[in-house]
Amino acid sequence: MAEDLVLDRAIRDWVLIPLSVVMVLIGFLRYFVSKLMRSYQTPDRKVLKEGQVVLRARNLRVAAGFIPTKSFWSRRVYFTNEENGLLHVPKEQAQNPQAQMFSDPNMAMDMMKKNISMIVPQTLTFTWVNFFFSGFVAAKIPFPLTHRFRGMLQNGIDLSTVDVSYVSGRSWYFLNLFGLRGLFSLILGEENATDDAQRMMQMGGFGFDPTKSLSAEKDSLDIIQHEWILPKMEKRAEDVLKKLLK
Amino acid sequence: MAGEGDLRTSAKESEDDLPILNAENLQSNIKSVYYSRTFLSIIGGVVAGIWGFTGLTGFVFYFLVMAVASLGLAAKAKFSVNKYFDSWNRILIDGVFGGLMSFVLSWAFAYDIVHIF
Repeated sequence: MAEDLVLDRAIRDWVLIPLSVVMVLIGFLRYFVSKLMRSYQTPDRKVLKEGQVVLRARNLRVAAGFIPTKSFWSRRVYFTNEENGLLHVPKEQAQNPQAQMFSDPNMAMDMMKKNISMIVPQTLTFTWVNFFFSGFVAAKIPFPLTHRFRGMLQNGIDLSTVDVSYVSGRSWYFLNLFGLRGLFSLILGEENATDDAQRMMQMGGFGFDPTKSLSAEKDSLDIIQHEWILPKMEKRAEDVLKKLLK
Repeated sequence: MAGEGDLRTSAKESEDDLPILNAENLQSNIKSVYYSRTFLSIIGGVVAGIWGFTGLTGFVFYFLVMAVASLGLAAKAKFSVNKYFDSWNRILIDGVFGGLMSFVLSWAFAYDIVHIF
């Protein structure tokens, strides 16, 4: 069953290499187009403010040990005070960001643009591959797969005696699709739009973030047991100097 | 060499009793680990294809290359992983399976061009 098929050199020249080259080029094109089309939305003032407040609160939490206890407490009250503390969000406002995100025209347009720029080239390329490169053996993959993959990998080849390692153009397309992701991340830097799954996950968490992170920061600030590390510093300085003098 | 020659930026502050990690540096370190692994996967794939590995041997070769990469990365971090990363997993396990697809692609490509051409 596992005879070695001899495949025409022309297949290599006109199928494998052009397909890979085309996919790489389309990736580049998509990257540049998405960069050009990215409508620069002016950041919402309220969201920006909240983000900065969260940052400040986080800095306070992280560097709590560096300031004396009383100052830490006064700062903490400033943030978590029930009446006008910066992190305290009244309950009604908590519902807003969700609705806002879905009705916000800008963000919806952005998401749509991203989806389109992802799906359209993939669909087009797939159609092109199916049209031109089906019905013959295109490549041999170096590892054997079970017979159940035969239907998926050898879509145009109707001989059942051909080894499953010999695949058609469609599977070469899929192999390229997944494998070129790593290459793109090397060449284009991290800002490439080829990783759609990641993108969608990021987009999902956008609108809900502000209120949840505010209350999360408030809770974590409330939890902290403050300990001023200055008394320890003398001992530490002594240790360091002793080490130096040795 | 994507990231292998880069100087590692120390992520940890000099205080030992406050384990703070500089987030930016940690990110940059993780990124350079990822780049190294991707690059090595592609090169490893080409080598496996040219050498004519088939089947399981190829995958074993891939994991071997990843293990050598982990060793090299650990050595570059002077084996004191806590200074540059937040956990051992970052340099040992992260990115091993991400590079697998790139490895398979370049392996199939090189194998075809060399052996069936």
